Amino acid sequence: MSKEAVLHLEGLSKSFGDKVALSNISFSVNQKEYVSLLGPSGSGKTTLLRTISGFETPQAGRVTLAGRDVTSAPAHDRGIGFVFQNFALFPHLSVFDNVAFGLRNRAQPVPESEVRSKVLEMIDLVGLQGLARRGTHQISGGQKQRVALARTLVTRPKLVLLDEPLGALDANLRQRMRTELRNIREQLDIPFLHVTGSETEALAMGDRLIVLDNGRIGQDGAPDEIYNRPASANVARFLNRYNVFDGAFEGDAFVTKYGSFPYASRVTGGESAYAIRYDRLAARPVGSAPGSNLAATYVTSEYLGSSLVHLFETADGKVVEVEHHLSNGPPDAYEAGHAYALTWKSEHGIAFG
Amino acid sequence: MTVANIAAPAKARVKTRAAKGLGVAGTYLLLAPAMVWMTLFLVVPMAMIVYVSFWTQSTFKIDSTLTLASWRTFFASDTYINSLWTTVRIWLIVLVTTFLVGYPTALYVGLFVKNKTLQTALLVVCVIPFWTSFLIRVLAWRPMLGKEGAINILLMKAHIISQPIEALLFTELSVVIGMTQIYVVFMVGPIAFMLGRIDPSIIEAARDLGADFWRILRKIIFPLSLPGVVVGAIFVSVMVLGEFATSAALSGRKVNLLGNIIVTQVGSLKWALASVVGVILTVIMGLVIAGLLRVVDLKKEL
Repeated sequence: MSKEAVLHLEGLSKSFGDKVALSNISFSVNQKEYVSLLGPSGSGKTTLLRTISGFETPQAGRVTLAGRDVTSAPAHDRGIGFVFQNFALFPHLSVFDNVAFGLRNRAQPVPESEVRSKVLEMIDLVGLQGLARRGTHQISGGQKQRVALARTLVTRPKLVLLDEPLGALDANLRQRMRTELRNIREQLDIPFLHVTGSETEALAMGDRLIVLDNGRIGQDGAPDEIYNRPASANVARFLNRYNVFDGAFEGDAFVTKYGSFPYASRVTGGESAYAIRYDRLAARPVGSAPGSNLAATYVTSEYLGSSLVHLFETADGKVVEVEHHLSNGPPDAYEAGHAYALTWKSEHGIAFG
Repeated sequence: MTVANIAAPAKARVKTRAAKGLGVAGTYLLLAPAMVWMTLFLVVPMAMIVYVSFWTQSTFKIDSTLTLASWRTFFASDTYINSLWTTVRIWLIVLVTTFLVGYPTALYVGLFVKNKTLQTALLVVCVIPFWTSFLIRVLAWRPMLGKEGAINILLMKAHIISQPIEALLFTELSVVIGMTQIYVVFMVGPIAFMLGRIDPSIIEAARDLGADFWRILRKIIFPLSLPGVVVGAIFVSVMVLGEFATSAALSGRKVNLLGNIIVTQVGSLKWALASVVGVILTVIMGLVIAGLLRVVDLKKEL
């Protein structure tokens, strides 16, 4: 446990009946860190968040917050800020009273004279100037998100947990709030733990990314490290940037039902699979290309702005995605229904298992 | 007054429909059944009661010569004025007791029980007493509260008391106990409904912000359930203010509510005085409902 760790989890486990939600989770969150927690639905990310905040009790393991063991402390005694996905604003209170709630109603309430200045300062920080007296029904989704954030931040928590905070916002607003969230965090020196099911959000937001896979930590590291070197087939799948093929090792080769794929790096342990990132693939006319290849039929393309994703289909119906960055020149034209050979350099293939 | 309140938004809504092409004739056609019904069975009888209260009453007959005599009789009599205050007192006490018993029950059913099926089952349990008739439910309190009733026997057997408590039956207390038991469910229902609508994450958010249970109850749960409390209070008020059977059965005629006076007067064919009491009772109910509706804007909340 490093000296500046604010939150430290040790062997957290929790199951609901037969269903294991968390299994031996350990990690630390340091001061000034913005940690993203990525996991598909059902991976246990909400349970993990609720266990950290004290809404659930783990069956095994310890939660330490700023050096204090809070495993069995009640939620209101932890000093953790929780920002709910649906905002959970108090519908009968104004924006000001929502933000002031924590200051007025904790065990040692802040004197009313200080409440006003603290609340207004926080309302300014999250960019809600002039809306203090509005009711929560009179503001937009993005503004509600800011109120939820201000309400938590004004109590100066030791750690802020955000449960899919951008999930309820539209795409445009989501983009803006991402930048905003990071700015706010940098002004406050409070570590944020941001849970999301969106890989783009997780990669963009975090100084560090933790991937949850079926209640276990799949990988914990810097976003670029995880993006370039996923630690397991599932992590590669969650990133939504890799074509993943099932298969098995035979001697030096990784054999799938589409052929034998060469690999330069192998990650041992776990499920056997072969992963190749979308943008490492190229499609060539059949028979013209050297290197690894895979026969597939061109289906269609999706335009993403800075890149183009071509969708190919193998004979047995598996979709293989090939991404072409437009900065690398204009895309090749493919003909729907025609067969192509997908090629890649062997050093880009990652074999697991 | 209340009739006008209810009719206004309904009319406005119908107007927008009419604008969409239903036509004026269609509007009146749709309104007609309700209007006819309300006129025949609410407006006309109410007007009739007010009118009859000014009729001249002699021992054996009543005629339509207008006079203030019955009104004077009511306000000059200590018995009637006392029964007015008794009615108001019992109403307030029962309102408080049904709230004190009903709110925790509703809190348990509506908020603490997370399972929706169990929630419904518990509410049904609350309604089960209604399977027996009202009078039987009231009279069943006699063998419970009497000098040699169940409660006294149990307390004596447990050696908590040596003499039976006689104050339990045929007193104001027994009327309050009986009414609380009968009407508490009308408090539980609306409150449990409002509590069931509170988003659980709101309560978790309050906990996370450092508030303990009592503060959350005071600052979040109670304000959000207030519309339920008001609706429950309206139900209980209307029924208790018009009550006569419980006090007749459980007070040994010691507690005379305005409702009991109406029954007695009608029984002895004193229609004029009965109408006076009826008008007074209606005015009180109107004031109580208007007052309660000022506490919350039900149209906005429900």
